[in-house]
Amino acid sequence: MNPPDLITILISGGIGLVAIGAVGMAVSRHLLRLVLALALAEAGANLLLVLAGYRWDAVAPILTGAAMTRPMVDPVPQALVLTAIVIGVGVQALAVALLIRVKEAYGTLDIRELKTRVEQEICGAAGIAPPESANKPGSSQPYPVPVTTSRESA
Amino acid sequence: MNALALPVVLPLLAAFLVRPASLVSSGLARWLGPLVLLLCGAMLVDIALLADGQPVSANIGDFAPPLGIVFYADSMALLFAIAVPLFALLLWPREGMREGGDRVSALMLLLVGSGTGMALSGDLFNLYVFYELLAVASFGLVAASGSARAYAATVRYLLISGFGSVLALIGVALIYTQTGTLNLAQLSEFAPERLANPLGLAAFACLLIGFGVKAELFPVNAWVPEVYATAPKRVSALLAGVVSKLAILVVLRLILLVFDLPEARQMVLVLGLIGLVSGELAAWRARDLPRMLAFSSIGQLGLLFMAMSIPGELGLIAALAVALHHLLMKPALFLLAERWSGGIENLAGAGRKAPLAAGLFTLFALSLLGVPPLPGFWAKLVLLLGLGQQDAVLAQAAIFGVLLMAVVEAHYLFRLVGLLYAKTEHDATPHRMGDLAVASLLGVVLLASMPLLPALAEGLGWMAHQASDVAAYRAMILDSRIPGVAP
Amino acid sequence: MHKLASLLFAMGLAALLIGLAAQLPLGMTPMGVGQAILERAPGETGSANIVTSVVLAYRGIDTLGELAILFAAATVAGLVLAPSIHAESQAKAKPRDDAGLVLRAGSDLLFPLLLTVGFYIVLHGHLTPGGGFQGGVVLAAAFFVSFLARPAKQPSHVGITLIEALAGASFIGIGLAAFFGGGAFLQPLLDKGTLGQLVSAGSLPLLYLAVGLKVGAELSGLLAHLAE
Repeated sequence: MNPPDLITILISGGIGLVAIGAVGMAVSRHLLRLVLALALAEAGANLLLVLAGYRWDAVAPILTGAAMTRPMVDPVPQALVLTAIVIGVGVQALAVALLIRVKEAYGTLDIRELKTRVEQEICGAAGIAPPESANKPGSSQPYPVPVTTSRESA
Repeated sequence: MNALALPVVLPLLAAFLVRPASLVSSGLARWLGPLVLLLCGAMLVDIALLADGQPVSANIGDFAPPLGIVFYADSMALLFAIAVPLFALLLWPREGMREGGDRVSALMLLLVGSGTGMALSGDLFNLYVFYELLAVASFGLVAASGSARAYAATVRYLLISGFGSVLALIGVALIYTQTGTLNLAQLSEFAPERLANPLGLAAFACLLIGFGVKAELFPVNAWVPEVYATAPKRVSALLAGVVSKLAILVVLRLILLVFDLPEARQMVLVLGLIGLVSGELAAWRARDLPRMLAFSSIGQLGLLFMAMSIPGELGLIAALAVALHHLLMKPALFLLAERWSGGIENLAGAGRKAPLAAGLFTLFALSLLGVPPLPGFWAKLVLLLGLGQQDAVLAQAAIFGVLLMAVVEAHYLFRLVGLLYAKTEHDATPHRMGDLAVASLLGVVLLASMPLLPALAEGLGWMAHQASDVAAYRAMILDSRIPGVAP
Repeated sequence: MHKLASLLFAMGLAALLIGLAAQLPLGMTPMGVGQAILERAPGETGSANIVTSVVLAYRGIDTLGELAILFAAATVAGLVLAPSIHAESQAKAKPRDDAGLVLRAGSDLLFPLLLTVGFYIVLHGHLTPGGGFQGGVVLAAAFFVSFLARPAKQPSHVGITLIEALAGASFIGIGLAAFFGGGAFLQPLLDKGTLGQLVSAGSLPLLYLAVGLKVGAELSGLLAHLAE
């Protein structure tokens, strides 16, 4: 494979992952899917960071006994990505722990429902009325009162 | 000065050891945290005195930069580095936590260690690592209140912060492919030739949004109201006061050293202006006190970003003034909101029951608004002067925005103060002694700074001059390129 | 509406990134720091795996921060998932049967193998790809496997906490030993030995050992909390 093609594939892969993660975070309604989309985006970002040290036709930066004839890739992005992957794993584990508790407390992981319920809880704790829903009917008597015909009472 | 690494590392060590310490003796676990913080604060003050106003730096592991990581402490960095353990001590969480007390201690220590590291570090990826540590520690502190809504708010904060860190990583990758280094001093050397192009601007935008999550920057501040409302108020005070300043310090270093471009400053100005307007308008409409304070915090930090966009030393002075004022004022307001965390209507008449608290609240509200002769007025004045000195239409629009929002602020703040002193009966729970004490202390400091203003202004000016001396920064760090020779 | 805006933002981000990537000097990056490290690392640190020397020597404090992040995540997970006043935790009374014969026998076989592989990876971090983090995850996997087979036998929390804390403290301790010995924090100590030997690279293998133990203990503790 020509070197340009390989690097193009890898870079598009990295960008694609980040984009998929971003779109996933934008459109998902379920918290677990949001966390998974974040994990995808992090994987994409890590890939892009490793590729920052790429060199054509180079080998891993480990010295073996053999004589070195080929150049080595940049070791610094690899160390950076080690750190970034571990950070990502820590945050994801933490997110899952929080999701367990949220599901236990609210019974749902849908973000829209959670948003209204958290809002209600905050308002309740503060002692103020929750914000009125946009779907609330305009007045307290939405339907006209049925007129009782006088035939029955006659 | 190699001891510069200690105030960062010792809190981390103490955090690791808190839980085994609690197995040995619970008293040890309770006092380990505050003692270590006292020690670190004392060490930092000692370093500041020894340095005698000159910047100091330390090569970690004795590897000369740019290969190794360097810690750099000029007066601005030391100021914020000392503020971190100081405020952590003042705002140390109380026994209101559940039995996870030693875990909360560990998280506070991690917050202090990473905060000090962020203030002192001179390497881009090191700043990212400490930033993530700060983020995870703050997730834990918010979730420590144990209520279900705190968990939900933390999840939202986590997701937004996670996406921000993805963007920050992309920014780091972009910078690394262009320049091949991560050391801020070397980046500032390479910046004019390699980063003053659209790619560099894109990297700056990624880093700005990535680090801006904690600084409550405009697109990524959706987490702020719920988190500040559901977290324990001391934690909100810490987050709004100290943590946001550290994130802003990082962005400030990036602008000063690496991205000294007009487009970058414009970006910061626009985002700051939008943040100011959206924050203050939302605060106006808020109906409970913690969220009103949260939105007002977004607005104030928008002001701070606008101050950072002003080029030159005047901009730095404005930014430092607004930052220090906010650092004093916001934690105090949140402490007062601890017992008043209800709806605003419910606060009617509270001022008569708790005169000290209401008096303090009025003082801070006036300073936030910018009423002379309180420090808030001077901070806003310097900001407006700086904005006025530029010719761009954007800057004029920004001045107009600041003044308009001051009117909005006046409306909701005076409405609140009026309610506090209304003639109705109020059934309030009194404030805790500790909260009132710390709030009063901050109030005293605020008042005491008024007669000292000329000296303070001179100090800030000198700090700004030192911080904007990029050539000296580079010289100090890069001249120690020969390994083994400490500066 | 909000969704539409987020979708547009995500698409814009992708387009931006593609446009940027097209301009990057890929495959020919100016390896300033990287080249210098490639040349100097074996001499300065004695480790054959240059990535290890970057992780532990040149950027040791990043690794310390990373350890702290894992610790913080495990601490917060423990805080959040602690058996609390929630009455739901009474449901722990549900029986935890052991798994079937195949899983049990398999896990009994795999456990020592995984431990060996994990320690091998940790201890050879300076010679071959691998190191503390990778090896630590394999060590934790050893405990995961045995836990999956026998859910009733949980790893002891006190033991895990102690190992985790002491391993982390010893990482910092080695760094501080360098500091108090007159050098800088985390300066590599001990003799560098000959390149390519197991006992070489000074204090780097010790650092990685601490890292491996800490990561293994932490992840096992995390699993134990998640399972409760």
